[in-house]
Amino acid sequence: MSYPTALSRQFRRSRLLYLMILPAILYFILLSFVPVADGFKMSFQKFRFVGASEFVGWANYLSMLKTPGFWRVFKNTLILGMSNVFLTAFIPMFVALSLNEVGRVGVKRSLQSILYLPHIFSWVVVGGLWIFILSPNGGLINSIRNVFGADSIFYLVSEKHIRPIIIGVNLWKQAGYVCILFLASIAGINPELYEAATIDGANGWQRARFITIPELVRTLKVVLLLNVMGALRIFDQIYVMRNEVVAPKVDVLMYYVYVHGLEKFNIGYASAISLFIFFITLIVTLLVKRVSRYEV
Amino acid sequence: MRNYTSPGRKLFLAFNYLFLILISLTMIVPMINVLAVSFTTNLESYDTTLKLFPRQPSITGYVQLFKYVAIVRPFVNNVIVTIAGTAVHLILCSMAGFVLVRNNLPGKTILVMLVTIPMMIPFQMIIIPVYVTIRNLGLMDTLWSLILIGLVSTFSIILMKNYFEGIPKSLEESAFMDGASEFTVFFKIFLPLAKPGIATITIFEFVNRWNHFLPAVLFINSPKNYTLQIALRSLVVSQELTSTTQSVANNTRMAGIVVSVIPLILVYIFAQNYFIKGLMVGSVKE
Repeated sequence: MSYPTALSRQFRRSRLLYLMILPAILYFILLSFVPVADGFKMSFQKFRFVGASEFVGWANYLSMLKTPGFWRVFKNTLILGMSNVFLTAFIPMFVALSLNEVGRVGVKRSLQSILYLPHIFSWVVVGGLWIFILSPNGGLINSIRNVFGADSIFYLVSEKHIRPIIIGVNLWKQAGYVCILFLASIAGINPELYEAATIDGANGWQRARFITIPELVRTLKVVLLLNVMGALRIFDQIYVMRNEVVAPKVDVLMYYVYVHGLEKFNIGYASAISLFIFFITLIVTLLVKRVSRYEV
Repeated sequence: MRNYTSPGRKLFLAFNYLFLILISLTMIVPMINVLAVSFTTNLESYDTTLKLFPRQPSITGYVQLFKYVAIVRPFVNNVIVTIAGTAVHLILCSMAGFVLVRNNLPGKTILVMLVTIPMMIPFQMIIIPVYVTIRNLGLMDTLWSLILIGLVSTFSIILMKNYFEGIPKSLEESAFMDGASEFTVFFKIFLPLAKPGIATITIFEFVNRWNHFLPAVLFINSPKNYTLQIALRSLVVSQELTSTTQSVANNTRMAGIVVSVIPLILVYIFAQNYFIKGLMVGSVKE
């Protein structure tokens, strides 16, 4: 029996290592890389599950641009998405600043836990909870209205109310999560800065204005970026909270893709829209990165 | 630190507390309301009164939930998909993370690229081709399809890699000197030392999978394969919106919500620190 040389042992070791990472790589190839390529191909096809799919050039993209339904959901996505991007960044930042002023660690922690709680629930739970709270049959909001003698409002079928509701419920679910990101960045600030400022006679507001806020701007950029990337992908919330009455106000791009691709099986058309969203996300992300670099 | 608090500051702190209490109430009152309604009688659950506590506590809602609503099967399916998916996810991702901290591995740059690029491809953008893939694999309408989706994630791989990087090199070197294989080093040295990382991923993956919705919407058709979120959706959304007549009472609907979040609440109570930890890593990754 001969002893293995260093090189062959290294190779044997590496072989084992390749084997260990193989499942992960296979997964990504099968369910990330290939689907992106497939989606690209399908967007230029009249796709068929059985038999050869026919190449149709830009037809899917052209029909996308010409369909009024597409522009309607595009507009809805922009309105809901932009509101989410800004509200779910600035309001949690404000709350984080306020939480930061709480001296008692225990109180701060409990408040933080309460704020974060909705984030661990699914959209079905959060959507279902608010559908009930807003319902005219024993829902909390309408019960309060009735106590004061006002009539019930059918909020979820009201074209006037539905967008603020969608935006507000999203804020309710995500605020705690974003808030903790801001709190962490505040916690990372060197406490000596505050002490020095206090010695120099700075009051609470001045300390916030000149030490805390500049530090927060960095986190704010990250949060805005995360929000932008999330904004164009809204799906679960809409799927749960939409209904035919308010559909013209709240149906978003991803919902449109789902309906056209997987309910009507207009696969090529839906793929074209998916890619369109993908590129818009990419462009907006780059743009936000660029803008936030030149700012401040 | 500060011995003297100015009256202005006192006023500010008072308002600050008031503000935070209001925000917390906004978070908590709807949840308490749901909990309270789940314990009301059928009749009371339609009352238009403020319900933060049931007047006549009753478990009718829960009895009806388990008797008339098909919730047990979806719950079991959810447990299967969540546990199987989380376990395999953990093994695959920590193995991949382990490989990425090894030095002198030929082709490591390519491996890193293959693992990190998918982060920029969100699942929502590729639902159509993934649907076709799952169909071609013959996994439509099976729990396998739900276990498969999200079996590996860049986030978890990077997180484990970061934990592994903190492990002193001398430990593994002495193990290799003793003739241990990479496998042994991984299972005997690296995994036990990366417990916080494992805990973070387990909790995150558990919550993620428990809440998985879109994949089930896409791939599952038959009621026997419904997951909890799908079953819950038809329970809580359904005809509630437009009509004032309903077939399922409010207390039963809310009982459904409560039952479905119990595992999440338990995890949240016992592992809160890991939530915060994972959150940080999650935001830094992008």
